[in-house]
Amino acid sequence: MFETLQQTAFVQDIIILAKPALFNLYFALASIPMGFPFAVLLAIGKASPNRLFSLVSRGYIYAFRGSPLFIQFFMCYSIMLALNQSVWKPLGINHIMLHPLFLGPFVLVLNTSAYAAEIFYGALKTVPKGEVEAAQAYGMSRWNVFRIVTWPNMLRLAWPAYTNEMVFLFHATTLVYFTLPVINEQKDLMNKASELFERDYNVFLHFSVAALYFLLISIFIFWLAGLMQKHLNRHITGEKVRLFFKPRYLR
Amino acid sequence: MLESVITQITQWLGEDAGASLAYITNGKHMAWYASVRYTLIAAVGGAVCAVLFGLTGAALKQSSFLPFKWIGDFYTTIVRGVPDVLFILFFPLAFEKTVEFVLARFTCSSESLAVATGWPPCDAAQWYLRTGDYLTMACVSLGIVYGAFAANVIHGAMQAVPKGQLEAASAYGFTPKQVFWRFRVRQMWIYALPGLSNVWMLLLKATSLLSLLQIADIVQWAGRLGSANYFPGVGLVHPDWRWKYYFVLFLFFILMTMLSERFFEMLQRRASRGMALVESN
Repeated sequence: MFETLQQTAFVQDIIILAKPALFNLYFALASIPMGFPFAVLLAIGKASPNRLFSLVSRGYIYAFRGSPLFIQFFMCYSIMLALNQSVWKPLGINHIMLHPLFLGPFVLVLNTSAYAAEIFYGALKTVPKGEVEAAQAYGMSRWNVFRIVTWPNMLRLAWPAYTNEMVFLFHATTLVYFTLPVINEQKDLMNKASELFERDYNVFLHFSVAALYFLLISIFIFWLAGLMQKHLNRHITGEKVRLFFKPRYLR
Repeated sequence: MLESVITQITQWLGEDAGASLAYITNGKHMAWYASVRYTLIAAVGGAVCAVLFGLTGAALKQSSFLPFKWIGDFYTTIVRGVPDVLFILFFPLAFEKTVEFVLARFTCSSESLAVATGWPPCDAAQWYLRTGDYLTMACVSLGIVYGAFAANVIHGAMQAVPKGQLEAASAYGFTPKQVFWRFRVRQMWIYALPGLSNVWMLLLKATSLLSLLQIADIVQWAGRLGSANYFPGVGLVHPDWRWKYYFVLFLFFILMTMLSERFFEMLQRRASRGMALVESN
């Protein structure tokens, strides 16, 4: 029974595509921890009263939200290639700098931090004024006001939208191997699905299995983020805000 | 005409400026600029399809007949849970294979079907796709993906139309159908515009993916023009210049975003004429 099940094309595909799925996961997992602090810095920069910081952050966020990730990948890769002879080779890091496993997360970080910064900026603007004023009235230092009042509020307010952004980022990992060179068997879901498709032209099967992986991992991200959401809102009594697979449609 | 302009500019600004101007207006570069049309057609065509799919999706989600509602919810959820690239690749391929399958049923002889191993089973069933076909399918697949986004926006906007307006309309004796079309749909746009503008921005950015469907769009041309150019007689014309071309595209899309923002601001102002309770987005 089990063996016949294993022979079906569907199960075969699930097994074949398990490893490529790890590449997509790797790209997302490598860029989220880097993108998060960078985004927070950009958001604070955008909200900062300092003209220069604000202008630079605004410009960065606008540029990276206003252009396609596809182009950003091509642009960064070709810039890296142009710098290869003059900078990376003398430094001896050309293999790292041009490797998709480095460059992919690198560009994703640049991209996601702009989107996430906009989310955090929006949250910063909606942090309850009264709480900040109360903290100031207590004589807290500016750092303490940020650490104790602004930061937790910002994170709590931004979390649902940030969850959405993480799912978008995970989906954006498909673009890595459309723009950067594929090295040996290091293939992601879309690569492998296209390769399988070229073998037997069974577009419905292979792409559906790839889609299934994306869907399942997206749901998993929502679930994980939901746990965090509960944690962030644990002090709020009354109606709990629940996060489940109810995707928001804006980025 | 162009040549005379170039000679004029050469006289004014010197040889270098003239030479670079001649370079960036040569045939290949002109083809690059002309290929912007694919991007624009895909964006506009995709937007039209997306609004149609969005209206259909919103109507389905709104439906009181449960299976319809499920279809609407299923559509919007699945599309959102799957990357747009997957759909943009999947739909044209799936459509092509389906058409070829149907063609094979009608055109191939049963003998050739029996012995066929590859795809398509016989030559007559092969569907050769041209750029126009791919472009149409790209529009439809962009429409499917961003239609799901638009469906959610429109669904939300329909709920946002003040109930009093609809009740007043029915009190005046309008039929439910008239109430829906003349009041709900008519008034929903101002609530939907901020969201739809956001969907348009996403769609515009997704048009950069056209080169994945073998359309010679701006992205593909940028890659071709920028690669190191070597002529046997001349030597190296230029080294790898791709980053310059991609940077131009980067700026191009930012410019398009800026223009769209302006356009939607204007539209929003126009749509809110005479409306009492509209908060600015």
